[in-house]
Amino acid sequence: MTEEEKNILKKLGMSAIEFIYGMAGHDMTRFALKTRGSMEHLFILITMGDLLGVPILPPYYSLRLLPYVVPQISTWKRRMLREKDLTDALA
Amino acid sequence: MNSLIILLIGVLGIAVGYGFYARTIDKNIIQPDPKKATPATMYMDGVDFTPASRNVLYGYQFKSIAALGPIVGPIVAVRWGWLPALLWIVFGTFFIGWVQDYSSIILGVREEGKTFGALSYKLISPRARTILLIFIYLYLLLIMGAFGKIVGYDLMTKPAVPLGVLFVMGVGLLAGQMTYRWKIDILITSVVTVILAFVGIWLGTLTGVQNFFTNINELFGFSFGDVTWARMLWSIVVLVICYFGAVLPIWRWAQPINYVSFWIVFLGIIGGTVGLLLWRPTIDAAAFPALTTWDGKLGELGALGPMWPLLFVTIACGAISGWHSLVSSSGTARQIEKETDALPVGGGAMFLEMFVAVLSLLAATVGVGAARYVELNAGAFVFAEGLSKFLTYVGIPESFGLPYGAVFLTLMALTIMYLVVRFMRVASAEFLGDAVPALKNVHIGTIVALALSLLLIWTGYWSHVWILFGSSNQLMAALALLLASLWLMTKAKNYTWTFVPFVFMFLTTMAALARTSYVVLRDAITKGAELPIDKVIGNYVAGVIGVVLFLAALYLAVDAVRAIQTRLAEGRATAGTD
Repeated sequence: MTEEEKNILKKLGMSAIEFIYGMAGHDMTRFALKTRGSMEHLFILITMGDLLGVPILPPYYSLRLLPYVVPQISTWKRRMLREKDLTDALA
Repeated sequence: MNSLIILLIGVLGIAVGYGFYARTIDKNIIQPDPKKATPATMYMDGVDFTPASRNVLYGYQFKSIAALGPIVGPIVAVRWGWLPALLWIVFGTFFIGWVQDYSSIILGVREEGKTFGALSYKLISPRARTILLIFIYLYLLLIMGAFGKIVGYDLMTKPAVPLGVLFVMGVGLLAGQMTYRWKIDILITSVVTVILAFVGIWLGTLTGVQNFFTNINELFGFSFGDVTWARMLWSIVVLVICYFGAVLPIWRWAQPINYVSFWIVFLGIIGGTVGLLLWRPTIDAAAFPALTTWDGKLGELGALGPMWPLLFVTIACGAISGWHSLVSSSGTARQIEKETDALPVGGGAMFLEMFVAVLSLLAATVGVGAARYVELNAGAFVFAEGLSKFLTYVGIPESFGLPYGAVFLTLMALTIMYLVVRFMRVASAEFLGDAVPALKNVHIGTIVALALSLLLIWTGYWSHVWILFGSSNQLMAALALLLASLWLMTKAKNYTWTFVPFVFMFLTTMAALARTSYVVLRDAITKGAELPIDKVIGNYVAGVIGVVLFLAALYLAVDAVRAIQTRLAEGRATAGTD
């Protein structure tokens, strides 16, 4: 078997594994990530809510936490402010 | 004709449909750009928008769209003969099915990940969104009625089935505990739980166990019309399972059980396909007629109704299904990494589902045969028998294959039913939560959804409920095609490939809804004295649902006509600017 044929077989094998993972486990992984993401966003809302105009805890704690939250602020703001629809819940 | 030729027709349909028609439209009309940022990459937040590889999404999409629909639809539809059923499966997928799934993904991707509610609001009218939501609620209720009746009446009442199903539930909970609490490697968890699940199914075949469940089924002799004690018991058990699936955290109940169920179903499909390939039976007129009558009369089974429109809604998911568009726009479109992945994921998964529908058709025709099919009253158990027959050719005895096939079907139904109840609960809270605050309570919202489902399960005629379910499903698909057409119109692109299927599906489903509503209401009014009381109630319930769906669709059609004029004008303006 040539190197090229081996590569093709390897690629096919990987595709099959990914396909089975997509059917069996992707939903579970996705939901775990979603749960974590939602909890994190809720936490940011509690601590940094004033960035969106939501009254929050005394800013002392927010300032202590700010350096850790900075990388997530833009995605968090986008998700919080995005208009949501009931049909989103089907995802 | 050898059954392999039928399989070959299916494969040919996939090759030509996907390889030629779908690719041509993808290349010439949609013109996907792999370098263009998709919502998954642009808005990645690790929650709603997360890019995933094409192969993973292909599997995800296939698993999300394939439930009982592609299996039960063909089983029922062969009452018109296997040929019209096969033709609709192949040509329906070829011209309409993949078009809907693929265009729903593309629409979501090009419209910044918007889902159907928001798209209806934007492309049709604000009222369209509200109508859509009413529509979705009734559609989901019909899913519960149709699937619940199959599981609660046909499958769980067989003494060899309940233990296997309950065992899988228990093993699923164990899988959740092992994965999320004990942090055990998923491979070990999978092997242990899947083996245990098969042991549970096997235990169900033991005589002592079967006697136990037979005794339970015969514990009380009372019945309410058509609802015997056994049916009452098992339909309630099914809804209790759904209750837990709807109120418990997803990781605790629905997901791990679905994970274990997936392996049971996946291995069954693989085994069945291999068995069929090894067997290669011949299908002839003696085994199963290619064509019966226009009104679907087979042997002693009563007529179902005219082939048009009913055949086209009876086989829903195997050819085209509105459920797919909901999944495609809200789930898959937000995970597409490159625009070029939309066709293999959306189109590819639909063509694969077509293959499952063909397999189911063969299970009924060559696996079971017309005589036994009539004996089984064309119910879902036909598939279990057909599959068990295929499995005998890979060395699995029928005594195990039969309960396995029934558990397989039950799990496929339950997988979707949890999600449906969850969504019904959310929808009722959204609709009526302000007026009736109690509906915002998780348990009350769920119980209301389950009570409505139980009413439909206990009272409706299964064939009517299934046809209403198929009609609402196809109407949802028609709406998806309409949205895609409107979007193509605004972009001044060729829209005939979505618009013609929309017109066909809309007319067909409206005709099916009108006919079924008329028949059930007529029976309730004129035959009220002859029918058992549960069936009279069921006919009224089904009739009201059918009429509401019909009127909602008419309202949508009025708004759609206005929207078409507006979008065409927008398209002309866009073309002029270009």
